[in-house]
Amino acid sequence: MTPRAARVLIRLYPRAWRERYGAEFAALLEDSPGGIRTAANVLLSAVVERVFSTHGGTMHPQLKAWVDRAPWAIFAVAPLGLLTGAYFVCYFILSSGWRIFLPGASTPFVPVHGFATVYFGFGRLLYFSAPVLIGWGIALMAGRQQIKVVWPAIGVVLMALIGAMVQVHASRADNRAVGDVSIDIGVGASLNTFSYQLLHATIILTFAALPYLILRYQRGRSISA
Amino acid sequence: MRSTRDVAIEDDGAVGHYSDPPLLVLASLANGPKHGHAMIEDIATLCGTRLGPGTLYGALARLEQQGWIAPLPAEERRQPYRITAAGLRVLQARLSTLQRFATAGLERLEAR
Repeated sequence: MTPRAARVLIRLYPRAWRERYGAEFAALLEDSPGGIRTAANVLLSAVVERVFSTHGGTMHPQLKAWVDRAPWAIFAVAPLGLLTGAYFVCYFILSSGWRIFLPGASTPFVPVHGFATVYFGFGRLLYFSAPVLIGWGIALMAGRQQIKVVWPAIGVVLMALIGAMVQVHASRADNRAVGDVSIDIGVGASLNTFSYQLLHATIILTFAALPYLILRYQRGRSISA
Repeated sequence: MRSTRDVAIEDDGAVGHYSDPPLLVLASLANGPKHGHAMIEDIATLCGTRLGPGTLYGALARLEQQGWIAPLPAEERRQPYRITAAGLRVLQARLSTLQRFATAGLERLEAR
């Protein structure tokens, strides 16, 4: 492997780890044949090291203090704020996209073309992925701090429930030029809707927790001796 | 850290290869200090498993953190490691368990 490729791969590791092992690891990588397999191996190991750090991680001391002092704020209130922010962006995209790209339409949920596809697509992607991405963030912080799973678990479950219960409504009265978009949270009125929400929550929970569980399993194997 | 990706697959697949990176590193260091590249080659000879560099250093970092291995003075850019007394005890215990497991498993196979 070339020294440059080795340097790039080593940059994937946390600073504290690099300071301790960087030079010797670079020497080993330069002696290695390289290739995609080696790069993938280093990439996965770097992710594990970032989540389950052996050298204290790179978390900002102030954030670390907050995690120790008020885990409920970091793992429940802050994610709630982030998710609210993400849904606000979705709301903005949907309502502005409706006005810009579909001025005469009675609903924004119709097939669109050109740039409108990208515009609405980004909003849709954010809407569906936000609870999962925030769940990953919670899992990452929990793994790095190696704290008890209670508050991170509450945070991830909260994200899954809200992600499943949130509903978007769009309507336009006949005599109005501009339609109304609203986002609210509600439990399904019928058994069918409730079952769908439960399934949605389970899917979000699974996607949000899966990377953490896989990395925890990998870490578990690495200290099994 | 471990996955089947780290195992050198031959015609018989991964069957016959043992892979538990920390244990393999401890076993490799049991007959004397080694640096990373020497450990990879030694482990490949020992059991057919070729550890990826990331896997090796993941294991080394955690073994050092647990005090089961320790670094020696560097030789140019290469860093040799030695197994500690605690590491030897852990290795002994794990290998004894594996030996009992292997003996019991083989006896069951022979009884078939």
